Amino acid sequence: MLWLIIKEAWISISSHKLRSFLTTLGIIIGVGAVVLMVAAGQTVTLVINNSFASMGGQLVMLHPSFVVTSGIKSGQRPSITSQDVDAVRGLKGIEAAAPMIFATAQAVYGANNWTAALRGSTTDLLIVNKWEVEKGEPFTSKDVKAAAPYVLIGATVANELFGFNDPVGQTIRIKNVPLKVVGVLKSKGQDLMGNDQDDIIIIPYTTLRQRIQGSRIPNRVNFGFIKISDSEDMEAAINRIKMLIRSRHNIKAGAEDDFEVRNMTAMVETVKTVGLVLSILLASIASISLVVGSIGIMNMMLVSVTERTREIGIRKALGAANRWIMLQFLTESVMISFMGSAIGLALGLAISQIAGSILGYEVPISAWTLALAGAVAIVVGVLSGVLPAYKAMHLDPIEALRYQ
Amino acid sequence: MSNEPVIELKHIGKTYFMEGGLSQEVLKDINFTVTKGEFVAIMGPSGSGKSTLMNILGCLDRPTVGSYILAGQEVSHLSDNQLAEVRNKSIGFVFQNFNLLMRRTIADNVSLPLIYRGMSDKARRETALKYIDMMKLAGNQDRIPNQLSGGMQQRVAIARALATEPTIILADEPTGNLDSTTSDEIMELFTDLNKAGKTIVLVTHEPDVASYATRLIRITDGRKEYDGLVKNYKELSK
Repeated sequence: MLWLIIKEAWISISSHKLRSFLTTLGIIIGVGAVVLMVAAGQTVTLVINNSFASMGGQLVMLHPSFVVTSGIKSGQRPSITSQDVDAVRGLKGIEAAAPMIFATAQAVYGANNWTAALRGSTTDLLIVNKWEVEKGEPFTSKDVKAAAPYVLIGATVANELFGFNDPVGQTIRIKNVPLKVVGVLKSKGQDLMGNDQDDIIIIPYTTLRQRIQGSRIPNRVNFGFIKISDSEDMEAAINRIKMLIRSRHNIKAGAEDDFEVRNMTAMVETVKTVGLVLSILLASIASISLVVGSIGIMNMMLVSVTERTREIGIRKALGAANRWIMLQFLTESVMISFMGSAIGLALGLAISQIAGSILGYEVPISAWTLALAGAVAIVVGVLSGVLPAYKAMHLDPIEALRYQ
Repeated sequence: MSNEPVIELKHIGKTYFMEGGLSQEVLKDINFTVTKGEFVAIMGPSGSGKSTLMNILGCLDRPTVGSYILAGQEVSHLSDNQLAEVRNKSIGFVFQNFNLLMRRTIADNVSLPLIYRGMSDKARRETALKYIDMMKLAGNQDRIPNQLSGGMQQRVAIARALATEPTIILADEPTGNLDSTTSDEIMELFTDLNKAGKTIVLVTHEPDVASYATRLIRITDGRKEYDGLVKNYKELSK
C-alpha cells in the first residue's frame, strides 16, 4: 500500500512539472550551499592540519623585537645572533634550535635557472621543521662551522633545474658561487598561505652569510626556530629562554626585552579554532537558504491542497482514511525534498571538487556530508509537509466535494 | 429480490448547531428499510433535507440521533476512519458532476477506490478493465476524462462505483449534467444493473428520473411524507 502512495505522490508531482521543479530548486540550492560550505570548512581544516603537520611538537620562535623602544643600546637595532641561538640550544629541555636567515636567490644550473626561497640555517632546521631528506644526505654541523658550499634543495627546485636528472652531487650557482647539491628534500606541498613549501633551498647560514652575502655581521640572523622537548613544560622552557637572552643582551632588571619569544604552538591552536569557527559559521549561514527552501515546499503544498480540495473529497468519499490523505501529501513533500537534496548534494560535491582542483586544494568528502544531506531530505520534507498534510487530512468530504 | 435488509434507518434525526445557541433540525424521525435488490428513489424539494439524508446514507455524515444499520453493521457512531472503510466496502457513489480525477486515465479512475483496499497494481487494472468493458467503454481505458462525452464520463463513474462490488449504489442526481437522451441511456443502465441484482438508491428532484425506480420515498421539511410504489404516487407528474 505504501508503494501505491509513493506512486500517487510521483504522479501528482510530475503533473505540475514547472511548479515542482521550482520548488525543488529551493532545496537544491539550500543543500548545495550547505554541502559547499561544509566542504570549504573541511578543506580549510585539512590545509591547516597539513601545514602544521610539519610543525609537530612544541615550537617557539625567537626574534628581535619589532617595536623600537626608546632605550636602544649602543645605537644598534635589536638583533638575534647565531650565538644566541647556540646558547638556547644548550638549555635544558631544548631538542633543537635552528638559526634562520631569509633570502631569495636565483639558482642556476647549466641553461636552467630558478628563483627560490633561500634559507640559511643549521641541520637543526630539519628537526624543527620536520624536513626529510629523500635523496642524498643532509650537510653536517662540521659543514656549517666550515661554511661549506653545500645545499639541500626542495622538490620543486629539483624539478625546475634538473628535470628527471638526479641533482645529488651536481653543482649549482647562486650569485656565481658554486654550491654542491648534497640532498633533495621530501615533498610537502602547499602550506596554509598557498605557498609552495617545496620551492626552497636550505644552505648553512655561515655559507650564506660569508660566501654569498659577504656580510660584515656574519652572526646576525633573522630569527631562531626552537623545538622544545615534548616532555618539557612549555611555559617553563620559554621562561628559561627569555632569561638566557636577557642576560646575553645585558638587559637590566625591569627593562623591556629587545626580543620576542613567540609560542607557535599556541598560534596553531588559535588558527585551528578560527578554522573550526569559520566552518561552523559558513555552514550556519548556508542553512538559512535551506530554511527558505523548506518554506517554498510548504507554500507549494498548501496551494496544492487547496487546488485539490475536490480531489481529496473524492478520495475520502471512495474510502481513503484520513491517514492515507495525510501520508499522500507528506510523501509528496518528502519526495520533493529528497530529489532536491540528492541533486543539491551532487552539485555541491561536484562544484567543491572542481573548485578544489582549480585552486589547488584537496577537498575531502566525508560520510558526514552524505548523512547530513539524507537527514535534511527527510526532516525538511516532513516539517514542510506537516501543515499542508494536516489541512488536507481534516477536510470534510461533503464540503470538499462541493468545492469548485 | 430477497427480503434481506441492507439499509435500516430507525428514528434518524439530524440537527445542525450554530453560533449563538441557534439550531436547525434538518431531519426529523426518519424510519425506513431498504431490502436487497430494491430500486429506491428519494425525492424532495430543495431544503427538504434529502441531501442530508443522502449524506447520512452514504456514511459521509453522522445522524444526531437514531440508528443506521448498513449491511448488518451499526454505523451511526463510527469514527471518521471507520466510516471511510465502510464507504469503501459498501457504498458505490455516483455524483451529478461525475467527480472523476481529470488528469488521470479512465483505468486509474475506475480503480481508484481499490487503492484503499491495498489491491496490487495488476489486480486493480484487471478489475478496472472488467467494469470498463461492462459499461461498454472498452478501448478508452488509457484516455483521460476530458476526451470523453458527458454520458461516457458518467459511465466511468458508474464503473468506478461497481468496481468495489458495494452493497448499494448511491446516486445523487446522476443525470443532472446530461441532456435528455443521454439521461435516458444512463437511467436504462441503472435499470439493467437493478435487474442484475444491484440495490440502487437514487436521489433526485426530477419526476422523470424518479419514475425509473420502483419505490419512492418523499421527504418534505425533514420528514418522510410518502413511502410506497412509484406508480402509486398520484402527484408524481406534477
